[in-house]
This record gives sequence, C-alpha cells and structure tokens, in this order.
Amino acid sequence: MKQIALYGKGGIGKSTTSANLSAALSGMGLDILQIGCDPKRDSTRMLMHGNFIPTVMDLVRVRGEAPITLSEVEFTGFNGVRCVEAGGPEPGVGCAGRGIIATFQLLEKFGALKGDVIVYDVLGDVVCGGFAMPMREGYAQDVYLVTSGELMSLYAANNICKAIQRLSSRTKSTCRLAGVICNAKNQPNEEELVAEFAKRVNSSLIQFIPRDRVVQLAELNRKTVIEYEPASAQAECYRTLATRVMENTHFTIPTPLEIDELESLAYSYI
Amino acid sequence: MSLNPLPIHTSRFGGCTLTGALSVTTHVRNTSSIIHGPKGCTHHNFSLLHATGLDNETVTLPDLVSTALCESDIVFGGEEALQRTLESVAERDVNAIFVLSTCIVDTIGDDVAAICSREYDVPVVIVPTAGFLGGTFQNGVSNALCAIADVAAPGPVNDCVNIIGEKNLEYEVEENYTEVTRLLDLLGIPVNIRYVHDLTFDEIGALGAARLNILREPALKPVGDYLKQRFGTPFIPSFPFGLSGTLSFVEAVAAAFGIDSSTILDKELQFQQDTLDGFTDLKGMAASFDPAMSDLDGVDSSTEVAKALRIHIKNPGTSSVSLSPGTPVGTTGVRRMLHRWRRQIHA
Repeated sequence: MKQIALYGKGGIGKSTTSANLSAALSGMGLDILQIGCDPKRDSTRMLMHGNFIPTVMDLVRVRGEAPITLSEVEFTGFNGVRCVEAGGPEPGVGCAGRGIIATFQLLEKFGALKGDVIVYDVLGDVVCGGFAMPMREGYAQDVYLVTSGELMSLYAANNICKAIQRLSSRTKSTCRLAGVICNAKNQPNEEELVAEFAKRVNSSLIQFIPRDRVVQLAELNRKTVIEYEPASAQAECYRTLATRVMENTHFTIPTPLEIDELESLAYSYI
Repeated sequence: MSLNPLPIHTSRFGGCTLTGALSVTTHVRNTSSIIHGPKGCTHHNFSLLHATGLDNETVTLPDLVSTALCESDIVFGGEEALQRTLESVAERDVNAIFVLSTCIVDTIGDDVAAICSREYDVPVVIVPTAGFLGGTFQNGVSNALCAIADVAAPGPVNDCVNIIGEKNLEYEVEENYTEVTRLLDLLGIPVNIRYVHDLTFDEIGALGAARLNILREPALKPVGDYLKQRFGTPFIPSFPFGLSGTLSFVEAVAAAFGIDSSTILDKELQFQQDTLDGFTDLKGMAASFDPAMSDLDGVDSSTEVAKALRIHIKNPGTSSVSLSPGTPVGTTGVRRMLHRWRRQIHA
C-alpha cells in the first residue's frame, strides 16, 4: 500500500491536484482512499460531484465516537475512489490539529486505512503538531509539495521541508520528501524556477501542471478534470503525475533553504 | 510568552498555578470553584486541599466542580462545557462562582471571559491559572488575590489592618496568624479581614477599609502593589521572621499608624529574652541545618536564633545533629522552632 500526502500553501491547488490525482490513479485500476485533512472539508468535493460529505469530526461531535461506523464516514465517489473528510471545529474555536489526530485514531480503529493508495490532502501550512500527523506514525511515507513559482508559495513549501526534515530524522520515521508538484500560475520561467527550487531542497520536480481553464470549468461542473474532460491535455497531465507517483523511487530528506537563498533564487528567475 | 522559570529557591516557586489559586478561592465560604479543564486537574487538587485541610482540622470539603473536558471539547472548543457548568452551579445556593482555567483551555484559546460575562444571577470571578505560561503555585495565589480584589470597591478607611495572602495550606497557619494578632494587640490595632482565610464573599467588600495591608511573605509584593493601586493601601511586605525581624515588624506597623512603639519594643525584647532563657540547655551544642529544608528567609532568622543561644552551626553533613530551620513567624514562632530543635538535638 502506498500512502502519499500533499502539502502546500493554502489556495495553491492541493485539493484540485489531490482529487485529480486520485481520479487518475483509480483509472489505473487501483483502490484509492482520499482523506481530506482540513476543517474546510472540501478536499473530496469534486470526486463526490459537488457534495460535502459528512466529516468524521461532525459525527463525533453529534454522537460521540463509540457508535460511528466506517460506512458513515467513508463515501464512494468517482470511479470508486473512497472519500473521507476529517473535518474539525468551527473557525476560531477549539483545536483543529487535535481533530486530525483524533480522526486518524478513529480511522485506524475502523481499519479504514487500506487500499492500493491513500492520498492525504492536508491543510495549508503545517501549523501545529496535529497537521504533521499524516507524516508521523508511518502514515504517509511519500510527501509531495504543491507550489507555484510565486515566492510566498515557495516559502510555504520550504517551511514544510523543515517539518519533513525534522520528522524524517526521527528513528522510527518513514516519511520522506517524494517530489515537488508545480501547479503553475503562468509566470514566466515558472517551471525552471520550481525545478531549481526542488533541486536545491534535495528533491526533484515530479510534474509541471500548467494553468488551464478546463480546471475551472470542471470545478463549475462539480467534477474532476479526469471525469469532465478526459481527453484534455490537462487530464493527461494528471495521468502522467499518477504514473510518476506510482513509479517514484526518489525519496529524500529535504534540505530547506534560508530565506535569503530562497529570495535570490526567485529573483534570478524573474 | 513564558520562556524560563523564575529562580527556584523554595517549593512554592514551583508547583501548579491552579493549586495556588485554589488555596485561596476555596477559603471563600459558600462559593464554588469551577476548574475549566479535564477532570484530573480537579481530582488531584480536591485530594490535596482535602488532605491539607484535615491537617489543619478543617473538615469542610472544598467545593470544586470540573467542566470535565474530554477530547471532543478540546477539538471543538470547551466554551459550551463551561457555560453548561456555570449554569448548573449557578442554580445552587452559592454566593459566588470562581472560574479557574487550566493549561489545555488556554492552549486552545477558549474565550473564558466572554462566557463568564453572561448573566448567571451570581457573581462570577475569573482567575487565570494556566500553569504552562510559566506561573507557579505562588503566581496562582497572587492571581487569585488580585482577581478577587476587584469585587471590592474603594471606600472610607479605618484604623485597622488586612492580613493578605496567608498560606492556607501550611500546617501552622493559625499559630502564625495568632502571633501576628498578638503583636498587633500590643499596638492596639484590630484586624479588618483575613484576605483570604475562611472569609465570606460579602466580607471581601471591606477589603479597601484598612489603613495598612500586612502581606504574609515578600513574594506577595505584586498583590500588595495591586491593592495599593486599587485602594491606596500601603503595605508591609511580610509577616515577621525571627527575633530582630519581629521587632522591626512592630516598629514598621507602629510607624504606619503613628504610634510610639518604644515601650512596646522593650516589652517584646524582654519576652524574646525570656523565651531564649527557656532553652539554655541548647547552649554550646553543635548542629547543622538540613539543606533540604532551607529557604532563605528561614535560614537567616534561624541563624540569628542559633547565634543568640550560642548553638554552633556547622556545614551540612559535618554534624550528627541536623536541624530544620523553618521560617519562625514572630517570637512565638521562634519558641516553637526551638522546641523542635530541642527534640532534634536530644533525639
């Protein structure tokens, strides 16, 4: 079983990339589970044709955890992709990070963490220990960074490298940086910049995803690109990503950059 | 943000902030203290307060209520649990409710003040007590004393003193209080309130009516400052420790009231001499102070007493007799300490 996690700056396209990746992987005949690890709970929405599925934390909140069964939190979406949303507290109260930890414990108890590939789609930055959970305890071994060529996005990716570096140095840890996915904003030299960034943090650019209007059209039609426009170049791009993810053997401990280094790198690709 | 602990020289400068605050709030009669946190924080403190209360012959059980937070409250926020608990305690016949926070609720950022500011038909006093912020038992005591002080309003002042911040959990709390009132009686000064020792919530309203506040120990200076700022009451920073400390205490209180203390000081000096005369059998003995029992105030006043009785104090471990220095409050505190020393020396 392969367990992968996508991390990156908020709004960079992790959920879109995750959903299309899961859809593409399922097209390879694989049993896929996608877990949204964000209280915003919209990770799996395109796989579920626009529906917000009940979250693990919603059910815990209403009923306590004892009587909840797997079938109440796991929903089958496009092409058999199984979807789970961790959920969490309302904005501004409680502790979302603890919610992620509790969700993992519950899913573990249900025996839900099975299949050919589990895709963890994790909230923006690794703001606290809870959001590092998918990288701990041997859950996600392969961590992918999603970034554009924008400095703030690279900055967030670089920060996540710090978390991976810290976690991967622990003796029992199996989590490694598996690659950088460039979700482009159509900047000049963007692919070269992100490829160089990936190299500098001791990884590689695994896929360049160009900006394409079909992504927005698919979203407005409440579908992944894979489902909405399977013959499009964009869909092919996600399928290539899926193949590369499955064939990837290049897992590293990242070497995060200093901020000056990051800035001058971005500057040199203007 | 708390980064490093205070310098540690006695156990009161470690310990749990919550426990310190509860040692105060549980001494306000007919009130309830809600501990907003997991139930273990309450259980542990209940046991501790009950046990020390029994040592001081207090049989009343501390009125503690836990919001009993569990994991789902931490994930979704504990504010509803606090409100539910407040509503249920408010239905009982209590004169006030204290709400004390714990480490976890201040970590997740529960808005305790917002919940407490709603109407419950009974006064609600918040005491911040999250220990991980760097506080200690002592900070808990101070936080509680300052928070509760806001209940009282400034008003006319009378010729009396408040006793501030007695160590309600110490074994000799009553003896120490009695000694201070003995010294005050010599000057003809009555005590207004014991803030806070076995007090009603209404009595707290009189907090501003004293001409002088007497703090139990120098660590309460932030409380003294706060009360001075709120009510304009000057303070003496500590109960008297040891022989000369007792005399200077009497002098300082007398000065605050404009009383001539010379004859009273002579009398007290004579009482100290009579006390020491009762322990002449200890003269010339050799002993050392038990380093584990030492705190700075105690060692200074104990050394003074040993000198007065010509007991030779050796370095720890070099004498077969080990004395616990203690912190002798007043002359009678010295006498109790000497009785202890006699038992240890003749053991």
